Amino acid sequence: MTGPISRREALAGIGLAVGSAGCVGRARNIAGRDGSSQLVLEIRTTPADEDPNGIRIARALAENLSAVGVDARVETMNGTDLHRTVLLNHDFDVFVGQYTEVLPFDPDALYGLVYSGFAAEAGWQNPFGFTNLETDEHLEAQRIADGSDRDDAVAELLTDVCEKQPFTVVAFPDALAATRADRFVGWETGPPVSATGLFRMEYVDAEDDEDPVTLRLVTTDGRISENWNPIAAEYRRYGTFMSLLYDRLTVVDDGTVVPWLARSWEWHDPETLEIELRSSTWHDGEPLTADDVAFTYGFLRDTSMGNAETPVPASQFRGRGSIVESTTVVDDSTVRLRIGETGAEVTKRALQVPILPQHVWSDRAETATVGGFEFDLETTEALVIPNEEPVGSGPMRFVEATPGERVVFERNPDHFLARAGSADGDDGNSGGSTAEDEGWGSIPDAYRGKPSFDRLEVAVVGSDVEAVQWVADGHADGTVSNLGPDSVPRIGRESGVRLVSTRSAAFYYVGYNARRAPLSNPRFRGIVASLVDKATLVDDAFAGYAQPAGNPLAASPEWVPEDLRWDDERGEDPVYPFHGTDGSVDVEATRESLRDIGYRFDESDRLLAREQ
Amino acid sequence: MSPLLSILTSVLFWVTAMCLVAGVAIVGPRRLYGIGENLVPHLRESRREVAALLVVLAVSGVGRPALQSVSEVFGLRLTGAILALEGGFVAWLQGTFQSPRLTLYFSSIYVFGYAFLLVFPFLAYAALPKPTTLKRLIVAYTLNYAIGLVLYTVVLAYGPRNVMPDLVTSLLYTFNPNFQTLTGEVNVETNVFPSLHTSLSVTVAAFAALTREEYPAWTPIAWWLAGSVVVSTMYLGIHWLTDVVFGTALALGCVYAAYRYVDPTEEDAEPDEREAGPDEGDGGSEPGGGGSDSASSTV
Repeated sequence: MTGPISRREALAGIGLAVGSAGCVGRARNIAGRDGSSQLVLEIRTTPADEDPNGIRIARALAENLSAVGVDARVETMNGTDLHRTVLLNHDFDVFVGQYTEVLPFDPDALYGLVYSGFAAEAGWQNPFGFTNLETDEHLEAQRIADGSDRDDAVAELLTDVCEKQPFTVVAFPDALAATRADRFVGWETGPPVSATGLFRMEYVDAEDDEDPVTLRLVTTDGRISENWNPIAAEYRRYGTFMSLLYDRLTVVDDGTVVPWLARSWEWHDPETLEIELRSSTWHDGEPLTADDVAFTYGFLRDTSMGNAETPVPASQFRGRGSIVESTTVVDDSTVRLRIGETGAEVTKRALQVPILPQHVWSDRAETATVGGFEFDLETTEALVIPNEEPVGSGPMRFVEATPGERVVFERNPDHFLARAGSADGDDGNSGGSTAEDEGWGSIPDAYRGKPSFDRLEVAVVGSDVEAVQWVADGHADGTVSNLGPDSVPRIGRESGVRLVSTRSAAFYYVGYNARRAPLSNPRFRGIVASLVDKATLVDDAFAGYAQPAGNPLAASPEWVPEDLRWDDERGEDPVYPFHGTDGSVDVEATRESLRDIGYRFDESDRLLAREQ
Repeated sequence: MSPLLSILTSVLFWVTAMCLVAGVAIVGPRRLYGIGENLVPHLRESRREVAALLVVLAVSGVGRPALQSVSEVFGLRLTGAILALEGGFVAWLQGTFQSPRLTLYFSSIYVFGYAFLLVFPFLAYAALPKPTTLKRLIVAYTLNYAIGLVLYTVVLAYGPRNVMPDLVTSLLYTFNPNFQTLTGEVNVETNVFPSLHTSLSVTVAAFAALTREEYPAWTPIAWWLAGSVVVSTMYLGIHWLTDVVFGTALALGCVYAAYRYVDPTEEDAEPDEREAGPDEGDGGSEPGGGGSDSASSTV
């Protein structure tokens, strides 16, 4: 043989080959093989206007992949579109995204992200399609364990996940906001992008008695002006405003669990938690009862409520919802959650799901239709409904919205935070014996009588730069979307605007579709991970306002074993250090690593992959 | 004052001022005076074309969110393909020529110059004794918008500033972020292919060339402005070269179609035949009107 014969040439040759009987089998054996061509990887992310950081990560990775010989392309799409194609349809190779929790979270979050049992479901549960028996065992082990046993189990889990790289953690961004201090203070006590952060805001403008007091925020994410469905993954980012509309049983404040809708809880038996609810009403006036709580946990597992052939789980809160195995209603204000062997620490996470009103959502269990046609049996009305006029029980309620422009919420005077009155106790409502009865004492002082604004207006603008300008011009009090290298310096130039920087746990990551070759190969993912130059990205894409990281729990370092922590001295990832120096990739070394794990290159140094 | 209102006010002020100056200098006070008596008969003459333009603008204004949804679900995602086709041309353009003065110039051109370029021909051609040119201009505008709307729906693509922020700065909006409030009202960021800034500017430039005997001074000004608008769309990082090329082709096609359908015999018409011209024109404009109608009804 003088050289390789392409498949097409071989096919053309069959006609000649059949002439000589002995060659028939040989020709078939050649022509019947699939050929190889250059590996194409598409990296999906949101455009710069919507998020200035993600696109820069995607671009840098694409550039390094191209240098190595992959045909890497970046495709931009808006947040809804990205979530729809990635989370719901699993139609992607690689995507750059941001995790959904701003405040430090429990390691059990990984259960939702990579547990193999969720790989076929649509939503935030295992979007990577990652399946590994060993990882599953670690996930289960940390659920059951408590105390130091759990520390060890989490350390093993983290080590396992970092090695197998179902996704590559890039960096933990600082939650940046351009703010004005002339009307509201408290921006730095909690990220304004979190609900608890918003509760800590204080109104200060005493000059003109504004009535109602309005907090004006500005964002580049228009989804909050179009859709208010707390379980629709396509439309939710951090779920901040959903947390204002929908109460959870507990919230986490600075690492401690705060009784929220649950006034108190105790162990009924080692596998069952008994929850006592606060007296509360839905925004439409209906009372909130234990039935609603029981309904919610069942609904997250199966939004069809048994109507579909197979369960149709919610596309959010699936991991933590799965902790609760079953529920029993004792009376109107008491509900028992059966959590099986789950340890006490993980159980707390199960209490952080938005409680939905049964009288509204039970009608949404039927299969979703468009004009009377059933398109997809795997979807229910509950998952596709925009939830206009949302009925929650939270401290704020929906007023009005103009899609793509703005949304307005107002304070719910019947909420227990409002009824609890201010911490000083000078509010008439909070005095006397009722304080004892309603358990106000369990609410931290910082939240009592909050929020300190009567209205919350969120305006939608085109880009981070425009958002900063709105704050500078006094059209808004603060920004609640990510700021990039073009907008951060602008804050310094504008008088009256301050840059507030708080830590965020919502890490940026590169997600791989492990359902598709060669991304199904953990060794291949490891090499892609080593093409992400985290240290340089933090300087360029985040203008320095981020911490590079190699694991998803870097915002809660107590969980991270020493050998997985970011090596500050050498400035590189402890598991998959960047294949190169000073921002430029070492092409030859990377190709050698790829050859070592069985990949081939053609004469033009293009990485070959089987034709799909 | 809301950010949108303040930017609208300044655009309105500058366009009015420029139209007044250009009206006196280019059209001349005598002919400008004629607009008063010409306008009503001209518009009555072009009522079908004006109606078609209004329909297309209304569809574009009211139906945009719906069309955008269709585009997101069914549209062709061409961002990656366009980038692969032309590579870093826009990045090179910006990287080579970027300076604060040019940014000021091109930003002003993109917002104020473009608005003036679109509005002034209405004034100039309304001042002509015959309605033919005005009618043609309206047909050409209508076709540009209608075809543009169809392509916007079929193709889903983001511009360079959104795709390669590491190399291309969003110069217009970093120069004046309030401009984004304005452009956000007019269009969405996924509508970059083709560049309607380019196609409408080139349309005006083509008309300026074809009517140079009426307004010789307008031709070089229109060409300069249109050329500047075309370059500005790329210099500011808003459009790809591909968008500009297709926008130019769209413009030339629309101008050709407008001349083909509105009084195609006008050029050779004898003075005494001119009276009959409008009637013929109405007959001739049928296909054109029908074309734009069907274009808007398919979307």
